[in-house]
Amino acid sequence: MATSTYLSNPLVTVNAVDLTDQCSSANLTRVIEALESTSFGLTARVYVGGLENSTLTLTMYNSFAASETYATLKALVGTQTNVTIKPTSAATSATNPISTLTGCYLETLPIVNAALGALDTIDITFTGGVYSVAVA
Amino acid sequence: MLRLNSESAGTNRMTYTIASSKLGVIGEPFIPADGINVAALLEGGFIVEQSTPKAKKPAKTSTDTNEEI
Repeated sequence: MATSTYLSNPLVTVNAVDLTDQCSSANLTRVIEALESTSFGLTARVYVGGLENSTLTLTMYNSFAASETYATLKALVGTQTNVTIKPTSAATSATNPISTLTGCYLETLPIVNAALGALDTIDITFTGGVYSVAVA
Repeated sequence: MLRLNSESAGTNRMTYTIASSKLGVIGEPFIPADGINVAALLEGGFIVEQSTPKAKKPAKTSTDTNEEI
């Protein structure tokens, strides 16, 4: 049975700016790089955990209005920042935990993604940083 | 290269005020958390910089300590 249904209310902030109303998709993936430690005598590959390299990918409507998508992101390319996401805009709790990537990196920013008769949307990915989750 | 920040240079201490409801309540002071890119917020017009004049130090008074014997 599906237990996490996102109808309208996830909360997304980028560099402390609430961009929830410009975001239509968010995918936070925690990644800890696998380091192979297979040795002679083993019959299967084995791995140990390496450095963490988590990512947050957002699909956003591109808006050049004041305080919107472009204004938030334009100076973040090539720099580190913080991003947060939680399932709903309700108070942070055990059932509504807030995940944070502190010091993650924005490598690329699509400026215009124009198509006839369609809204301008961009996909951006924040990489790395320290992952943490809070329940209060 | 020796770099002086505003505080150590003895001039003003910078504080920030929220200028966009996307960040919080407009007019409230903004205290950036660790990792927040303040330059990007300034460039995007989300906060404005306010300089708080530092309290002036009292004027130095020279005291003649060479007492004549």
